[in-house]
Amino acid sequence: MSIVPQLIINSLITGSVYALMAMGFNLTYDTAKFPNIAHGSSAVVGGYTVFYLANQHGLNLYASIVLGVLAAGIFGWLCDRVIYAKLRKRKATSAVLLIASLGIFTMVEAGSAVLFSSQFQTLASLIPNQKIFLWHNLAFTEIQLLTFIASIAVLLLAVCGLKFTQFGKALRAVSDDAEVAKIVGINTEKIIGSTFFIGGAIAGLAGIMVGLDTGIQPTMGLFLLLSGFGATIIGGVGNVYGSFLGAVIIGFLENFGVWTIAAEWKATIAFVVIILFLIFRPQGLLKK
Amino acid sequence: MEYLIHLAIFCAIYAILGISLNLIMGYTGMISIAHAGFYGIGAYATAILSYNYGMNFFLSMLIGIITSMIAALLIGMVITRLRGDYFILASLGFNFIAFSIMLNWQGLTRGALGIPGIARPKLFGLSFMLDQNRTVNLDFLILSLVILGLIYVACRFIGSSSLGRVLKSIREDETAIQVFGYNTLNYKLLIFIIGAGMAAVAGSLFASYISYIDPSTFTVNESVFIIAIIILGGLANLKGSILGAIFLVLLPEALRFIGFPNEIAGQMRLGIYGLLLVILMLYRPQGLMGEYKL
Repeated sequence: MSIVPQLIINSLITGSVYALMAMGFNLTYDTAKFPNIAHGSSAVVGGYTVFYLANQHGLNLYASIVLGVLAAGIFGWLCDRVIYAKLRKRKATSAVLLIASLGIFTMVEAGSAVLFSSQFQTLASLIPNQKIFLWHNLAFTEIQLLTFIASIAVLLLAVCGLKFTQFGKALRAVSDDAEVAKIVGINTEKIIGSTFFIGGAIAGLAGIMVGLDTGIQPTMGLFLLLSGFGATIIGGVGNVYGSFLGAVIIGFLENFGVWTIAAEWKATIAFVVIILFLIFRPQGLLKK
Repeated sequence: MEYLIHLAIFCAIYAILGISLNLIMGYTGMISIAHAGFYGIGAYATAILSYNYGMNFFLSMLIGIITSMIAALLIGMVITRLRGDYFILASLGFNFIAFSIMLNWQGLTRGALGIPGIARPKLFGLSFMLDQNRTVNLDFLILSLVILGLIYVACRFIGSSSLGRVLKSIREDETAIQVFGYNTLNYKLLIFIIGAGMAAVAGSLFASYISYIDPSTFTVNESVFIIAIIILGGLANLKGSILGAIFLVLLPEALRFIGFPNEIAGQMRLGIYGLLLVILMLYRPQGLMGEYKL
């Protein structure tokens, strides 16, 4: 039974990566009203930007991370401005937006494979003397601790931002009713664009953290996207706390599932639980 | 000549995938990103039965169809209940799970190693095989075209029957048709299962033609490719799906002639499908010959 505390820590670490994906996904889903598949691509863009700058050009790691997060945010914003905004203007259904985002997702996967090869690349070599924290029998790395802290920080920032800032209030108004928000003078398009920037940037951070912890490859966007989506469903669309809670739940399911059942069923266990939620509690655990 | 026949066989396989997905997506309006999963189930059924037990192709195809339909029944019972967006993402999730099972259940599928040496079809002692005397795969092409023809006729029949009219009205207004007393869930499930069975046929053909399969053929990207085929050709138009398959199978061959190395050409192929989807959504969401607009 001595493995249980370590499993709990691992679950929290996995959960915090998923939480980063889920919070951004949730924000864009709630405001733009369609599940943005290209959200997974933002993680790929973030991860590969750091790989390009730090690994291939020797730029300082911290500067690369900042630029990587920015690049992922700009990517999200561009997707919205160049494609989604045009479709929204034409009153396209959410299916059209979703398929367009699927197209973007595929393009990014292909593009990053052409530029950086489809091999698994690790960013961990950027931190040669990474500290490993040992406490009794529990072990975790510096990066894993930072991932956890980052996810908590983003959660708090998002919650406070939504509650207290002018932008947060406008964003909530747009997600409640875009038409009414427009009538009272909120520039809805600008708000939605900024939401895509923020969502993309958080996803980019998730991609970078995954890259520093294990590694990146062009196909990683899909798994991250599905985890973020699952966490959003379990937690409840439109509730940032919910996304975090859902992500931690998926983290626990995966780690304890691997412990009790075989590792190859890891994704399947998470999928089954998400489906159960979709059927029996589609509004998620926490209400908006 | 050999090369042209090779391409024609691929066109036929993708045309089968296209028209079967069109039943689900074009006629019924359920956007499914799961088709490559059912395609893979068919391919693996033929591969495993042929590799381990030396089973006849047609028998293994039948078992593939049944397995795929059972999988579609189980997953469909759950996900056809979900509304629009959730159905799409759940189908995407199913494809991901199917892929990860093919990759990880090494006792059955040999994982990333793939399954080699899949036998060619034999019928009444007649072998659809490339033997010493023959230099072309003409027999296999004929077999593929016959199967494509049968599936086309079946889909045509479904489309013009009363079942087809119910499916189209589910697409247009599900609540309205429910008011008339139709249990739309059953119809959606039925067409999902039929489409999955047809995808398994394409999978069996593919496995037996290539004679080697591995999980990387049945990823979500393959589902995106099939979606690109039917959206380009036009939703709810079977001829469009066949034209879309021909066009999208031949298009990347041009890339190879330009002289890109194989790996990059493969990725560019993927990129082109993605770009095509975005452009179609922006400028022509109903596709070239579509009868239904998303």
